Amino acid sequence: MVSVTDRVTVEQTAVDEVVHVAPGARVIRLIVAAMILALTMAGTVYGDDYAFPFGPPRMYATRADPDAPVSSTRVVGLDDDGEEVPLSGGEVGLRRAEFEGQVPRLIDHPDLLGLLAETYTAHHPEAGPLVAVAIIARRYELQAGQRTGAYVDDVLVTYRLQPPERGGL
Amino acid sequence: MTGLGGLVRWFFAPVPLARIAIFRLIAYLFIPIDVFVTTRWVAAHAGVPTEYYQPLLIAEWLPLPIPTASVVETVKWLLVGSALLAATGKAPRIWGATTFLLYFEWMVIAMSYGKVDHDRYAFLVALAVLPTVGIARWRDHRRSEAAGFAVAVIFVAVMLTYFLAAWAKIRFGGWDWVNGSTLTRAVLRRGTDLSTWTLDVPGLLHVSQYLMIGFELLSPLMLLVRRDRARIMLVVFLLGFHLMVFAGVRIIFLPHVVAILSILPWERLHNRKVPPEVIPEADAQARASS
Repeated sequence: MVSVTDRVTVEQTAVDEVVHVAPGARVIRLIVAAMILALTMAGTVYGDDYAFPFGPPRMYATRADPDAPVSSTRVVGLDDDGEEVPLSGGEVGLRRAEFEGQVPRLIDHPDLLGLLAETYTAHHPEAGPLVAVAIIARRYELQAGQRTGAYVDDVLVTYRLQPPERGGL
Repeated sequence: MTGLGGLVRWFFAPVPLARIAIFRLIAYLFIPIDVFVTTRWVAAHAGVPTEYYQPLLIAEWLPLPIPTASVVETVKWLLVGSALLAATGKAPRIWGATTFLLYFEWMVIAMSYGKVDHDRYAFLVALAVLPTVGIARWRDHRRSEAAGFAVAVIFVAVMLTYFLAAWAKIRFGGWDWVNGSTLTRAVLRRGTDLSTWTLDVPGLLHVSQYLMIGFELLSPLMLLVRRDRARIMLVVFLLGFHLMVFAGVRIIFLPHVVAILSILPWERLHNRKVPPEVIPEADAQARASS
């Protein structure tokens, strides 16, 4: 009895003919692959997300301090009654993480928040008018990496919208 | 020199063309699913004011258009059309190349608004390398070096996604990353009913961080897995990891998962169906003589 491994069975398929790659084509493939590998390594070692698709795959790479609070940022519209209307859950075409990536820029240029109110109204014509747009960071307290249950809401920036002009006034 | 020769042999170890034919179908049919179902937020960028567009480095180098609503819509439909044509397997170099270029532009539209995802490096590599194989039919069990190169390169890209993730953790989080509260933070922000209990088990998420970075640092060893059955086990392990992460924090690296499927010996689906050719003729003879 000869022991037959699964690899052997694959190699003994009905047609065992090999289609080769010409030596020149091999060299071209290897050179291109080496270049892509070099860009990928350089991106991880020196680059950042700006270098997409060669940036470092830094999912959850930032070390979170076990005693620092965990922040969760949201962008909201405020209506006449002070009720929050969520804007960072895809309502204006942007995700929460995308807002979080742009928070410093939005704090410097809060007028960009005004554009969101226009987009929201265009996407949701049935909704009532917004009077302001705000970015709020909710900070959950941690102690030694465990949550305590306490949190505070920190308003990072509020942008007041111009009231819509009314005909005749 | 044997090292280099061995490396070249590893990259060009021939695999059946049928494997490419089947994997290619999966990869190209995934694109409409990605666009319309699982990554719908990319198309939603059509409605975002262009003031929110933050060009990537690649957009500074290449004359890529600012993603206005009409640009996003046009790229979307060209991409879906091109992917469906590529899925037919006809003119694979042409439709494979256009699909890669359009998907790349789709990714530029996706990643230029303040958040870059890291779930599709290996899928982009797969789309780039698939057209180099050329014609590959479902029942073509000839082995091809070009097909072998394609699956080897995708395999390396899958491995690098894990290995470089460890590198990034050490680079950005420091050697002390494992002792941080990154997973606690993730579960607090995105936890599900299946994962929030982990917050109340002291040390569990802490140990998980050691296991995670350990696996990532050892991931190059997966390239040594050569036998079909072992590769199937490897794929089951990797898919299990991604399903667990999805259950815990609702994040799934779906394009990466599709790239992982290239590791499987798909040609085996057909292997046992080679018809014994003698029998029909014997039957005919038997009928003729009776």
